[in-house]
Amino acid sequence: MYIYRLVFLLVLAIYIFSPNILDWWIRPGSIWYSPFLAWAALIMLGFWLEWRRDPNEF
Amino acid sequence: MSFSPPVLVTVSLGYLLLLFAVAWVSERPRVPSRWVRHPLVYVLSLGVFAGIWAVYGALGMADQFGFGYLAYYIGISGAFLLAPVLLSPVLRISRAYQLTSLADVFAFRYRSQVAGTLVTVISGAAILSLLSMQIKAVADAAALLAPDLSPSVAATLFSLALILFTALFGARDSDSGGTHQGLVAAIAFDSLVKVGALTLLGAVILLTVFGGLDDLSTWLATNDRGKMPFRQPLHDGSWRALMLMAFAGALVLPHMYHMIFSEQPTPRAMAKATWGMPLQLLLLALPVPVIYWGAQALGVTSPASLHVLGIPMALGSPSLTLLMYIAGLSAASALIIVSTLSLSGMLLHHTVLPLYPPRERSDIYSWLRWVRRSLIAVTILAALLFHEWIGKELSLGALGIIALSGVLQLLPGALGVIYWPEGNRQGLISGMAAGMVLWIVTLVVPFSTVPDLLTHLGMPAATLETAHIYAFVALTVNVSVFALTSMVSTTTPDEDSAAQACSMGALSRPQRRELLAGSSDEFRHQLAIPLGANVARREVDRALNALKLPPVEYRPYQLRRLRDQIEVNLSGMMGPSVAQDIVKHYLGFKPQAGRDPAQDIHYIEKALGDYQSQLTGLAGELDNLRRHYRQTLQNLPIAACSVGDDGEILMWNHAMQAVTGIEADDVVGARLSTLPDQWRQLLEDFVLGDEVHRYKHRLDLRGRPHWFNLHKSTLSGPEHPEGGNIVLVEDQTETRLLEDELIHSERLASVGRLAAGVAHEIGNPVTGISSLSQNLKLETDDPDILDTADQIQQQTRRISRILQSLMNFARSGNHAPANRYEAVSLRRCVDESVNLLSLSGKGRHLSYETDCPDDLLVLGDEQRLEQVFVNLLANARDASPDEGCIRISGKREAYSAIIEILDEGSGIPDDQLDHIFEPFYTTKGPNRGTGLGLSLVYSIVEEHYGHIQVDSPVADGRGTRVRLRLPAYEPESEPTDNTA
Repeated sequence: MYIYRLVFLLVLAIYIFSPNILDWWIRPGSIWYSPFLAWAALIMLGFWLEWRRDPNEF
Repeated sequence: MSFSPPVLVTVSLGYLLLLFAVAWVSERPRVPSRWVRHPLVYVLSLGVFAGIWAVYGALGMADQFGFGYLAYYIGISGAFLLAPVLLSPVLRISRAYQLTSLADVFAFRYRSQVAGTLVTVISGAAILSLLSMQIKAVADAAALLAPDLSPSVAATLFSLALILFTALFGARDSDSGGTHQGLVAAIAFDSLVKVGALTLLGAVILLTVFGGLDDLSTWLATNDRGKMPFRQPLHDGSWRALMLMAFAGALVLPHMYHMIFSEQPTPRAMAKATWGMPLQLLLLALPVPVIYWGAQALGVTSPASLHVLGIPMALGSPSLTLLMYIAGLSAASALIIVSTLSLSGMLLHHTVLPLYPPRERSDIYSWLRWVRRSLIAVTILAALLFHEWIGKELSLGALGIIALSGVLQLLPGALGVIYWPEGNRQGLISGMAAGMVLWIVTLVVPFSTVPDLLTHLGMPAATLETAHIYAFVALTVNVSVFALTSMVSTTTPDEDSAAQACSMGALSRPQRRELLAGSSDEFRHQLAIPLGANVARREVDRALNALKLPPVEYRPYQLRRLRDQIEVNLSGMMGPSVAQDIVKHYLGFKPQAGRDPAQDIHYIEKALGDYQSQLTGLAGELDNLRRHYRQTLQNLPIAACSVGDDGEILMWNHAMQAVTGIEADDVVGARLSTLPDQWRQLLEDFVLGDEVHRYKHRLDLRGRPHWFNLHKSTLSGPEHPEGGNIVLVEDQTETRLLEDELIHSERLASVGRLAAGVAHEIGNPVTGISSLSQNLKLETDDPDILDTADQIQQQTRRISRILQSLMNFARSGNHAPANRYEAVSLRRCVDESVNLLSLSGKGRHLSYETDCPDDLLVLGDEQRLEQVFVNLLANARDASPDEGCIRISGKREAYSAIIEILDEGSGIPDDQLDHIFEPFYTTKGPNRGTGLGLSLVYSIVEEHYGHIQVDSPVADGRGTRVRLRLPAYEPESEPTDNTA
């Protein structure tokens, strides 16, 4: 179960700091669609994880 | 620009008809199932999550919180990115136990009907608000486009059309617990329309209003007013609350649960959704700022949430306006259809059926279908009433917050299902109840009816800015009460077992208990009481088919599986609580005496086998070890079986299958009493008896006697609380037959020794008789007496010959020791023997042809080897016809000397061939043979480390060939003088 606890802690950390992360993305001077670029990067990560996953994982 | 009401109504109904058509076509057999079950369709169908938010709500939110509107999309994207640890476990449970809603999951996991009903109440209340939000958006949009159309009429028409659609396509398969292919396809189509329309509008604005990305950037740099909401820092509390609610939505929103889990996606589709769903939401979110800025640039005056309609109207494009209206309609209809469908299932399972349990009806399936359709109608009408009464006065944001903060109260219990087996029903119910009360007092009532309720209590008023505080307070209280109550209250074993079954990575450990019903037929009889004979028969047959069992099943292990499967199937139809009640009541277990029932080892093994690919690290290594030991037991060359205390066979290895001729698949999980008679008696008697070993138990199988040794080890003591026995069965039949043979040989040997003694004792009187007859011949000249004396002498010689043979045979052990053997020429032995036999040729003109090299030598006793040839040639002579030919050939083969004696006699019948070397066995007539000749030959050849082989008949059914193989002797060559 330790892996789930790690995941849980990570998710909690991201959740708590998410407003600050987004604030950083939309700071003055950055292009308006920068949050979407970061989001797209996250989707690519999800795609890559799914692509290399073990078919029996689910 | 405006539209006339008939046009708008026609367009709306036309679109809903198109939706009907998509659903109808998808359910035709001609449309391949793999298209409808394609991951893309599944991912698109998940777009139901966004609902009206995607088209209208997000813009309203963006106007107020800037990029804060993204929280709704990012929250649920997080849930999908975490699918392997968040959604997959729930998918596993919902598939395995046919749990069609979160209320089913709660009722199953916490073994409580109250929990299921409470979830239904909270979800129902929250969903009314969510449905009202959809209806309001559609009615407001219709009112904007057609000012002459009354919003109430629009809302009513819209609701009625949806009742029709949902009842038709959503409640058709309630009898089979199956999926709704048509519905999924229609919802996916809805999402496609939504994404397509928003993307198109964004593109149109970007290209026509701003003239491209660069121009948009320029416009943004020069227009602070337009940028304002997107420049302001995020409102932390609202952002976090909305993100958490959206994250929880994947599990706790009824329509999301239904789409993610109940439509039974393939694991591949679920895997694709981990990135496919965030991508879909990204496509929905991306045009929002562009549309907002477009409205700013065009100076659109409509409320922010209706900008998607205001912009195309400002651009003067009726088709684009109608398309955006359709997008809103499709988003709202999709959410209403799926939510209502899901809620109707919850209401059926957790309010109607517990109050009106199904009694014997002619067609329970049809009854369930109609109840469900009525519930769909009631739900949508209730939502319409709520909308007309309260909802239409509230903003889309307020309605959304009420709904989401309500279902958020289900999150602790839902996470507990997967991650907290210690949580129990008391904790869950009290936590949810506390959360629900706070939700009603701080959010529902202030937003809907008494806005200043909280200010009277000295707290900040409930607004969109402060709602997150109350949502978090309710959630925190809920979690705390859940945790504390669970820790201080006791959990029932039943609930514990369900918790284990649901826990992440846990295997359910069912107990091995005996059912009252002894066969699948009895299942049908028992279930006929609550369900009626027809439904009972159909349900039992369905479960038997699902488990691939024969039509009549009696094995306890399989009956327990059958019971579970029936419960699962009934659960899909009537909810887990009612299913549990029926199964518990009508397919009960026998009362247990004394200790806890044993675990169902066979089931656990099977489940571990299914889990194999998921076991990694230490668990994987342990599983490998388990397999190794299991294989060792299975391949043990001794028959072994293991029997539980209740007589159930738990293991039956390969050797046991070979010995008994009974396949493991037929008996594992069955009781000893179901074995064939002989084995049943033997094993039952032995297992129940006190003896630990039983030797040489005779069992007549297939008409032949078999002997078995049985050994038993009893599993007892603290290490084996479950008890049981291991039984080893040794097949002793071969050994027993060998023993019999040995005893027979021993008897024959004694007879031989006795005969030698007798021969010796008889020899003296016979010599006396021979001497006396000799004397008699000297005493008289009477020819009669002389003749008689001759005959006496002949007979005494005959006696002597017999006695000599007997004594030779008996003496066969007393030969010259092997180390005193000398080189013997086989050719000489053969010639000597032929000479001896020629003396008594009896005038039959037999010929002997010898073809044996002179240098064929063996080490041995010449006298005895001669005896071998005399005996063999005498047999050949006796068998040969007159003027026959006996051929003797000799040759060398590698290190062996081979002698073959071939006659032209009548041959030896097959049935006698096996016995010819046995002492006293003869095929010759009376007074012609003693039956010791070949036996003697055999022993002499053995003494010389040789081998004898008899082939008969050789050709044309005649002739016998005796083949002797003796170690050849090779004289050492003379040493040469190397010094010469």
